[in-house]
Amino acid sequence: MPKPNELTQVNYAIDVQGLGVKYNLRLTKKNTLRTSFQNMLKREGGDKQFWALREVNFRMVHGESLAVIGPNGAGKSTLLQVLAGIIDPSEGFIDVRGQISSLLQLGAGFDQELTGRDNIMLAGAFLGIDHKLMLELQQPIIDFADIGDFIDAPIKTYSSGMRARLGFSIATSVDPDVLLLDEVLATGDQVFREKSRQRVLEIAANAKAVVLVTHDMHWVTEFCNRAILLERGRVVVEGTPADVVDVHVENSMRSKVEREAELKAIAAKAAAAARAKGR
Amino acid sequence: MLPSRVMQTQSSAAAAVRARRPRRDPITLVRVALSELSQRRQLIKYLVQADLKKKGSDTLLGNVWWVVDPLLQMMVYVVLVTVILQKTTPDYPLFIFSAILPWKWFTSSVGDAITAVSGQDKLIKQIKFPKIVLPTASTLAGIAGFAFGMIPLMGLLLLFYRDRLSPLLILIVPIAVVQLVFTMAFGYLVSATNVFYRDVANVSRHALRMWFYLSPGLYAASSLSKIAETHPTIMKLMELNPFFTLFESYRAVVYGGDTSGPFVPDFRPLLILLGASLLFLLVTTVMFKRAETSFAKVL
Repeated sequence: MPKPNELTQVNYAIDVQGLGVKYNLRLTKKNTLRTSFQNMLKREGGDKQFWALREVNFRMVHGESLAVIGPNGAGKSTLLQVLAGIIDPSEGFIDVRGQISSLLQLGAGFDQELTGRDNIMLAGAFLGIDHKLMLELQQPIIDFADIGDFIDAPIKTYSSGMRARLGFSIATSVDPDVLLLDEVLATGDQVFREKSRQRVLEIAANAKAVVLVTHDMHWVTEFCNRAILLERGRVVVEGTPADVVDVHVENSMRSKVEREAELKAIAAKAAAAARAKGR
Repeated sequence: MLPSRVMQTQSSAAAAVRARRPRRDPITLVRVALSELSQRRQLIKYLVQADLKKKGSDTLLGNVWWVVDPLLQMMVYVVLVTVILQKTTPDYPLFIFSAILPWKWFTSSVGDAITAVSGQDKLIKQIKFPKIVLPTASTLAGIAGFAFGMIPLMGLLLLFYRDRLSPLLILIVPIAVVQLVFTMAFGYLVSATNVFYRDVANVSRHALRMWFYLSPGLYAASSLSKIAETHPTIMKLMELNPFFTLFESYRAVVYGGDTSGPFVPDFRPLLILLGASLLFLLVTTVMFKRAETSFAKVL
């Protein structure tokens, strides 16, 4: 593993070396005092841990857009959280250069009672963006999100599409050097999809780095110039989007076949048990 | 194998190099917390405004409730103590009101602090920001309720107890500052604890009620003189309660004595409480900062 100070001489936007993120299951399980007393008494659960990510290595230069794909629970969202600085790495080293914008799940953190306008300002303050700049950005954000008069209504009156549009608009308007997006396109109509596609391409073209987690393989091949496939917290393949998508499709087909076989086995077992009982 | 301490890069101020962090010492943590709070003043301001907006302070009815609520609570206690328990204290409504206002402020601040961090779970998982702004903002927003409580207090004094009205009332401000420091420290403690143990909310409701009854709110501290004679240690323990000092001080400037008007409270216990609260605040700040790194994983 190269020394960090050697790495910094090359202008990477993101540099991830030997990254691992460990979850302590004792803490993450929704605890009550009772369960933790029980654990203390039994001296159990103390060492239960789970690596959400392990030995992840990749580098990105500015202007790249990277897609992170993989099955559910592979560690994709955790990876974005580490890149955003929300979670600290348990091992390894990570370097992200520049202003990060990380409204990961668009609009999920909005305050339901406040208006769209208030939420724009609040999100800006959470992202650490200067108040004056945020006042300037307010109107462009509203225009891009295409929310109309609803902007002065509480967020709880918004449709999920409107919420996602506003979230996307905020995350991409603050001119980040590194843009992190999680499941951008779960919602949104055709027009907004195209608009946001243009915007992501624009950001990448401005020599910014974009990391995108998605289940939509069209996005991966259309938008991104690189992709990595995560499975069980490890990088399985890294390469061009088309290649990586191929591997992912193949792997998920295989696991689907396996799961179906498993399902059949369970059904057969149950049928056998029923027959034995009936006799 | 792991680069435990990574050289800060010279290229960009916004560069973020992270590896597994070494455990930081308490002094550094306090310094970090202070600089975070001063850098995020704007965010705290927004959060306070949002909090007040949601509580309806910008609507007429919302304000009315802030005024009416302590008055209703006062009436409940007046009925309980003077009618049912047949205790006679002159001007009892004012006597009890001087404790209800600060106590309502404290309990609502604690209640808000409990959910300040755990209620923002979605945001915490999406954006990196110093989490200490959350309980700070919720505690600061709580001041508004107390400030509004001055309206019914002034109303009571002007309409019914004009003989107890005195310029000493202004001393509420320094007493409230001491309470604010204590409340802030307590808020940091419960907001961080509730992330890991969700029973804090359930426990607190009963613990707070017990706390109120053990504090000289419904009764005067002097009425404990019998206990003081027979069990001096119990009395000493009761005096350790911050609200022993706070209630006595508020009552001195609002109500005064049974027969006399308001008087200047004893500042020595207040100053001791201020010092202890500042120390408590330092301890809970360090605790909060240590717990903070796990918030995104646990929530």
